[in-house]
Amino acid sequence: MAGLSPLPGWVPTLALSLLALVAAVVVLGSGPLAVPPADLAAALLGRGSSEAELALALRGPRLLAALTCGAALAGAGAGFQILFRNPLASPDLLGVSSGAGFGAAVALLLGAGALLVQTAAFMGGLATGALAVGCAALTRSGDGRLALILCGVVAGALASAGLGLVVTLAEPYSQLPAITYWLLGSFARATLSKAALSLIPATIGTATLLWLGFRLDVLSLGDEQARSLGLPARPLRIIALCAAALMTSAAVAVAGVVGWIGLLAPHAARLIVGEQAGRLIPLAMAIGALFAVVIDRLAAAFGPAEVPVGLLSAAVGAPAFLLLFVLNARRA
Amino acid sequence: MSLVLEGLVAGRRGFRLPPLDLAVAPGDVVALIGPNGAGKTTLLKTLAGLLAPISGRIVRPGPAAYLPAPGAVSAGFPALHVAALGRAGRRRWAPALGPDDLDAAHAALLRLDIADLARRPFDRLSSGQQQLVLIARLFVQDAAVCLLDEPLALLDPAHAQQVETAIRALAREGRIVITSTHHLPFAMRADRVLSLGPDWIESAPPEAALAPDRLRALFGVETAACPCCGHAVA
Repeated sequence: MAGLSPLPGWVPTLALSLLALVAAVVVLGSGPLAVPPADLAAALLGRGSSEAELALALRGPRLLAALTCGAALAGAGAGFQILFRNPLASPDLLGVSSGAGFGAAVALLLGAGALLVQTAAFMGGLATGALAVGCAALTRSGDGRLALILCGVVAGALASAGLGLVVTLAEPYSQLPAITYWLLGSFARATLSKAALSLIPATIGTATLLWLGFRLDVLSLGDEQARSLGLPARPLRIIALCAAALMTSAAVAVAGVVGWIGLLAPHAARLIVGEQAGRLIPLAMAIGALFAVVIDRLAAAFGPAEVPVGLLSAAVGAPAFLLLFVLNARRA
Repeated sequence: MSLVLEGLVAGRRGFRLPPLDLAVAPGDVVALIGPNGAGKTTLLKTLAGLLAPISGRIVRPGPAAYLPAPGAVSAGFPALHVAALGRAGRRRWAPALGPDDLDAAHAALLRLDIADLARRPFDRLSSGQQQLVLIARLFVQDAAVCLLDEPLALLDPAHAQQVETAIRALAREGRIVITSTHHLPFAMRADRVLSLGPDWIESAPPEAALAPDRLRALFGVETAACPCCGHAVA
């Protein structure tokens, strides 16, 4: 069997998407300011109570950011894992997160506003990904996957070095805490405009990966097989990498570095629907969105001095990843 | 239409094969034999268009497909999907593979008698089963030229027989099949044998190519029996 479930591929995806939606409604209406779902729905249409509108205004952007980032990171992770046929491939594979961190840190150092920081992070992530892909293309080795992994490490290391430099230059009482907090990752600082700004590239990347579908399966067989099957392997691989890098950059730009979702969600999805890209990516995205919403609610539940979601996702994600790995290995 | 090679020199950096002139008619099975390192894989990949020729010309009657030796392809998805990916080239810009692609894949598995493998993950099949699934994919892909790299390596006698039957079926439908092999009895049953020595290439009918003196010239040792299975060659 392809996965544990004998159901058609879209059933688990639909179920998990609905679950993520339910979780979102619960998160919107719970907490110090409790609002029933019906009220929230009315508020969405512009006819709700003032409590509902307040809850929507306070929690909506953050929730939207969590849903977007969770789905985008999970989709990008699934894409990378398929492309490289390596279960350890994560959205950071091309050094995108380090590049985004570097971009954000530079912007924070220069005293830029929130939207500019997000833009700088986005551009930093994309530039690092492009650097990795460009260097790998220069090597012209037969199957470009090893070159890409190496160039990703190099590009990420360069960005990390730049980040280290910025950190040493930063003013220790105001800029440094801001940079550190940004790097730890959080959905708390999301605003509606920031979340919406990330939604656009994330959607473009997602649509591209979903269109690639079976072509990703062919690419996972290696460039030689892909070409022998009549597909333009190199251009398709670059399109896929760009789509995944776009999704990662969009997520990191709005939320900082939130690890493990991109590693964890594809593994969970693979356990259910198997490895076909057309089934794996949508389900991984639904799981990623659900995971991000739940983990963010947990982070907020720690009280006014909430735990950065990046820390919590690692604390929950690492053991969960181990569990999934054991489950997957036992089935093999 | 035939596959025509005119003064083809295949090779990679620092390694070139002797020039080759050859025409292979549709429906022919050509066995490519020669010692390890002689360049059999390089030649097959060049014929498939995966490597650029150093010089000379290749005229293909249609698209070519290359299949590496058993065990070289790894995929986690079901065998049916692997076979259906044979249509990837035809669906290059389509939104997805369609039901008729899956039907074609299923028909191909059925005709090779492996329909029971359809839902099993490719990675968990034996080398022999994997090879049959990949040959089923060749039927789905319907390439005019099929280039198979040691399709019988690692296979038990039953699977080797099944694969040989499948290869013949590929050719019977008018495709050109060129397979490298160390299994000399298989080469004996081919329509033509291409012997690739250290600095010469020779195309001959099987009886001539597999004569004791030719084999001695090719491999440098006495090989009255097949090196891979011990069967008498003639």
